[in-house]
Amino acid sequence: MIQTQGLTRRFGPRVAVDGLDLDVPRGEVFGFLGPNGAGKTTTIRMLAALIAPTSGSATVAGHRLGEANREIRRRVGVLTETPGLYRRLSARDNLLFFARLYPVQEPERQVERYLRLFELWDRRGEPAGSLSKGMRQKLAIARALLHEPEILFLDEPTAGLDPEAAKTVRDLIETLRSKDRTIFLCTHNLDEADRLCDRIGLFRTRMLAVGAPAELKEEMYGRRTVVHLASPSPGIEQALDLSFVKKVERLDDRLIVSLADPDRENPALIRRLVELGAEVRFVNELRVSLEDLYLDLMEGRDAKA
Amino acid sequence: MRRLKVLLFKEWRESLRNKMVVFGVVLLPLFLVGISVYMIALGEGIGDPTASIVMFNTSLMYFLLLPTIIPLAIAVYSIVGEKEQTTLEPLLATPISDLELFLGKALASVIPAIVVNWLSFGLFLAATRIVVGAVPLQALTAPWLASIFGLSPLLALFSVGVTMLVSSRASDARAAYQFSSFAVLPGLVPLIIYSSKQTLVDLRLVVVEGGVLVVLCAAILYLAIRVFRREQILTRWR
Repeated sequence: MIQTQGLTRRFGPRVAVDGLDLDVPRGEVFGFLGPNGAGKTTTIRMLAALIAPTSGSATVAGHRLGEANREIRRRVGVLTETPGLYRRLSARDNLLFFARLYPVQEPERQVERYLRLFELWDRRGEPAGSLSKGMRQKLAIARALLHEPEILFLDEPTAGLDPEAAKTVRDLIETLRSKDRTIFLCTHNLDEADRLCDRIGLFRTRMLAVGAPAELKEEMYGRRTVVHLASPSPGIEQALDLSFVKKVERLDDRLIVSLADPDRENPALIRRLVELGAEVRFVNELRVSLEDLYLDLMEGRDAKA
Repeated sequence: MRRLKVLLFKEWRESLRNKMVVFGVVLLPLFLVGISVYMIALGEGIGDPTASIVMFNTSLMYFLLLPTIIPLAIAVYSIVGEKEQTTLEPLLATPISDLELFLGKALASVIPAIVVNWLSFGLFLAATRIVVGAVPLQALTAPWLASIFGLSPLLALFSVGVTMLVSSRASDARAAYQFSSFAVLPGLVPLIIYSSKQTLVDLRLVVVEGGVLVVLCAAILYLAIRVFRREQILTRWR
């Protein structure tokens, strides 16, 4: 649904996006993660045919960027960083204006549908400027969805929303995924990205890593088993002489054991530890958060080391 | 065409809710009509033909300034409004073309300016009739009518062209407003010429100025449309 080859954008001497290669298939929720100023918004602007790349090429919704920009804009929905609503116009008038700019059949009905979906119907006549921050964000999301786009670019969709409204948005993203819509999600909420995204791309001017969150974590950190001991059992980590054990670290009364295939190797590991006199309280897998992965990649740390 | 209409009505709906724009579009013409009527009455009272000519020429100048000032206020507020409300990006992300966007913004300023100017002229005639006791026949001569109905739309168009051209290149909306203020200059030209000659408005001069304005408008609009590009607007209108 989105393919880019060497997509680059410069602003004078500054390179905002450097040689982006990306392939996002239909129906995927793709998380685009990176710090402020990484070039995420510039990337969205290029993919939404708002600004032209300096070099490279892209195909969005089956249309080549630069050749069918209007068609691309017809097929994508964009939620910008700020809600960007006409404050003096009512919630309904804001949506009606945008619905009429797209080829939407029965704009009034479509507007009503989305106002009801986001529980804004009762506030439809109020100026957008008088709505709460969360309501304005919901209205902006509704605006991005009005024309039923094939691809949705969401820049921080849950920023400023209360937990309930944020859940509504996340549920909506799940619903859209089930309807085969492609979602390009920029977020600083790493837990949200971990839960929602099929794949993520860690980006800072250039793509640092792409993959499913679990795959990336495994690739970066391997899989590790934590053995909680009832007593310190000094020296046991040195005595652990199993060939499949890659590395053993001790943290108080815990042993952190790096394994290639914990599902297969854990029973033998526990058996050997018991033979060596260890009293095992319980065992669990060390879970690495997306935040750890993000920070390590952004700071250029070698996580496996 | 459909999108142009949608944008046009949105612009007007927004302008009507903006007190500053309404103030500029309603109060300024009323104020200038009031001054014009007062000047005509004053000229009649003095009984000096030269003084009367100056008063008439100055009155006419107001009706040539109004169509340049009104679109300036609407267009700049429309642009500043988009910037302040950060609505430009969502708007530019729609399938609206650059030309539709340009025309929508431009016509939303030009049409009210022309209509308000003509209404003001009507009000001026009526008010003069009440105050002086007769409709001033000078104001119904060919040069006056050609100025009001021929020159003023061209002046409005010129003013909007300059505003749009400057706004799409300027990095700051306030700077755009200041630079765009130069658009009122053509409206002052007749006054300068007539005042120096101390003669009544001359049809030949109106025609010459009209011809110059047609050329200027064509050039300004051509340039403005050429530089009114999504990317420029998005990256420069800060």
